[in-house]
Amino acid sequence: MLHQQLVEALGAEAVKTAPEDLSVYAFDAYSSGTLPSAVVLPETTRDVARIVRIARACEEPLIARGAGTGLCGGAIPARGGVVVSFARMHRVLDLDLSRRRAHVQPGLVNLDLSKAVSMHGLFYAPDPASQKTSTIGGNIATNAGGPHCLSYGTTVNHVCALEVVDASGEVFRTDVDDAGYDLTGVLVGSEGTLGIVTSAWVRLTRLPESVRVWLAAFGDIDSASAAVSAIIAAGIVPTALEMMDRVIVTAVEAAFCAGYPTDAGAVLLIEHAGYEDDMNTLEAAVAQIAREHGALSWRAARSASERDALWAGRKGAAGATGRISPNYYTQDVCVPRSALPAALRAVGDAAARHHLTVGNVFHAGDGNLHPLLMYDRRDPKQVAAVIETGNEILQTAVDLGGTVSGEHGIGYEKREAMTRVYSTDDLATMARVREVFDPARMLNPEKIFPSGVRCPELR
Amino acid sequence: MSGRQRIVPTSVEELASVLATHHRDRRPLAVEGGNTLRGMLPPDHESDTLVTTALAGVLAFAPDDLAVAAQAGISLRALGATLAQRGQFIPFDAPQRADATLGGTLAAGWNGPRRHRYGRPRDFVMGTTIVLADGTVAAAGGMVPKNVSGYDMSKLYVGSCGTLGVLVRANLKTLPLAQRSRAFIAPLPEYTRERAIARLRESPVEPAAALWIEGFHKEIEGTDGPEGRLFLLIEGSDSFVERASRDVRTEMGKAGVPETYVVDGAVTERFERVIDALAATIGERSVTYRVSGDPAAIGTRASRMLDVAARCEMRGEAIGDVMNGDVYVRCTDADTRSFAAKAPMLDDAMHDDEPAARIVACDHPVRAKLNVWGQPPGTLDLMRRVKAHFDPAGILNPHRYVGAI
Repeated sequence: MLHQQLVEALGAEAVKTAPEDLSVYAFDAYSSGTLPSAVVLPETTRDVARIVRIARACEEPLIARGAGTGLCGGAIPARGGVVVSFARMHRVLDLDLSRRRAHVQPGLVNLDLSKAVSMHGLFYAPDPASQKTSTIGGNIATNAGGPHCLSYGTTVNHVCALEVVDASGEVFRTDVDDAGYDLTGVLVGSEGTLGIVTSAWVRLTRLPESVRVWLAAFGDIDSASAAVSAIIAAGIVPTALEMMDRVIVTAVEAAFCAGYPTDAGAVLLIEHAGYEDDMNTLEAAVAQIAREHGALSWRAARSASERDALWAGRKGAAGATGRISPNYYTQDVCVPRSALPAALRAVGDAAARHHLTVGNVFHAGDGNLHPLLMYDRRDPKQVAAVIETGNEILQTAVDLGGTVSGEHGIGYEKREAMTRVYSTDDLATMARVREVFDPARMLNPEKIFPSGVRCPELR
Repeated sequence: MSGRQRIVPTSVEELASVLATHHRDRRPLAVEGGNTLRGMLPPDHESDTLVTTALAGVLAFAPDDLAVAAQAGISLRALGATLAQRGQFIPFDAPQRADATLGGTLAAGWNGPRRHRYGRPRDFVMGTTIVLADGTVAAAGGMVPKNVSGYDMSKLYVGSCGTLGVLVRANLKTLPLAQRSRAFIAPLPEYTRERAIARLRESPVEPAAALWIEGFHKEIEGTDGPEGRLFLLIEGSDSFVERASRDVRTEMGKAGVPETYVVDGAVTERFERVIDALAATIGERSVTYRVSGDPAAIGTRASRMLDVAARCEMRGEAIGDVMNGDVYVRCTDADTRSFAAKAPMLDDAMHDDEPAARIVACDHPVRAKLNVWGQPPGTLDLMRRVKAHFDPAGILNPHRYVGAI
């Protein structure tokens, strides 16, 4: 019935129902869910609207999916349903160079947008580590961040307008410049639970005139963290301020020979983009701060290829851990910058208690931690230890005044952790929004909200 | 209950109980901060007024974390002073900083001229606490710059004009103050406006703010040329300001603008006067409209809006935000009575030309008869449902929001 209607509406080419095809869509980059009833590959907004109406008539939930690079189960079916894959909606529809905006389809790969506009001296600023594969639509769903959002902001700061198919299959358009409630701002980061984004107008940023990348090595994480705080306290907000600990640096060097000093306890990768006139002064100031905090070495990339090499190590860090462990679990929490040393100590302690190796590679400037917990999936004891350690890290972040997800989202995996940061009233207020957009809860059900949270009875 | 009360709660609990009582009795409430952007909403002379100005504390300031939390009733000036002590600021650029409150600025969704450089006020909000219509106190977001934990409810509250609840606290990102700032004023000779605007937008060094002005002599210094004048603000390091100064003069020279005056004294105060002008009224005989759009077309948009004013026999003055695309046109009449008589006709003519034109300032009671919000967006039904779920009894600023929500 469902299958037949979908095929009639979109053609057999666009509908997958064979179990071997469906099984791929039960996973994201970390978690596994249930098998969908069908996977559909729309090519237009109208297609998406038809899919929604058919799924609604068949009482099937809908799960929008980009590249499936998420780590929290946001794009996997929690209880079956129709997966809407945006693999065939990947075009740049229009470029408005005067307003520096691009109108894009949700399946467009993040990095492809920057490539498409670079000849005009522009780029798309949000740069999640997955940017070679992850899509703009998926980035919008999770309000994705990345190393450079320290100065450029996260995805929501770069979305000007959205075209959305709602839970009943109607199309609406939002614009941040519209009078009235900022629906755009609420839709970004809503993980596909309020509507399905079918195109977006995103802001393009001018390529900077000058970029410098510096690498400072420290004896331990504490002194590197202190240097991070000191840089910010000196009124310097670099474009990116990333930290890697000894475990990660060793893995990265073995994999890429990026030129990181392997004897260091922590390495800071610092990038500043801006005007050439400021660069020498800034470089001197940051180098001075690094020295004052006991930097063992200081390196400035002198060419574009040296810059790329330093970044290649950072961007490939998670992959490089494959050399030291069969599996890893990435936790994602954010704490106030000044709490970094305490947070990292607590992460190390938690991992040690559970006999796990932990590597830290993260956005230090934002206080956004990504502890990678190394384990072997074949050993149930280790799997249990990872889950336990992950939970302890969540609680640590909350105790230090932080939050349970910096940039990966809540999805399915972290929904019970929402009660660690929000009261029942806070969550019920959020649920009111869900009630407005999707009262039947057919859009990506079982995500974000902990079990049992409903909209309060309207009095 | 009799008469119209002015309620100024001194604690969040007290504020919540006021809301709960009004909710229970279904009595409408007007919500007010410093009352500086009153022109943006239709007037309300019947409801009790809830004023947030007694909730004016800085709750937490962590300069090393570039973060501050403050109560909604604090004035932008007081908040700015606290931040400046540690060399930081928040670029909210709202008029009348001494009276404008943090909560009011956010609730109004005010967007100023430096947003292309630093971001919109909404982008600075990491978390909020709101008291909902029924008195429920709900927090959203947190005190960290990156946070994807459920819906970003703060985005919904910014720009909601107090129709969903009353903001009582905002957690904000801060920025380091620029080392130096410098202003430029340039009168524009004939046929230079479009070229100057294009040059500024394409120049490798972007000004922190760039405004094209025609009129507003009471509020903003400088003499108009035949095509008005430019006010530019440059912010950055010493070396950047020097370089930008050279570049600005070169670009203006290429655009055919012979004189560009440098202003180095009291730059911040001068810029604040420009901001004040955006919502400044002339007694009860002026109305200011704002239209946002393509920055490249601000000149033609302003000319059209000024034509409307002229057709209605009002004096027109304009400010165009070169970097962001907002155009403000203030239409003034000779006296209050004739203003009141002409205003509805002007309002119709303005909306015929620019359906989305919004009123940002008007002190005459005739404002009640004008279309202050302009044409509502296509999502109005959705917005109505949002309102119904947050304020089912419809007590908060009733019928004063877009589409009479």
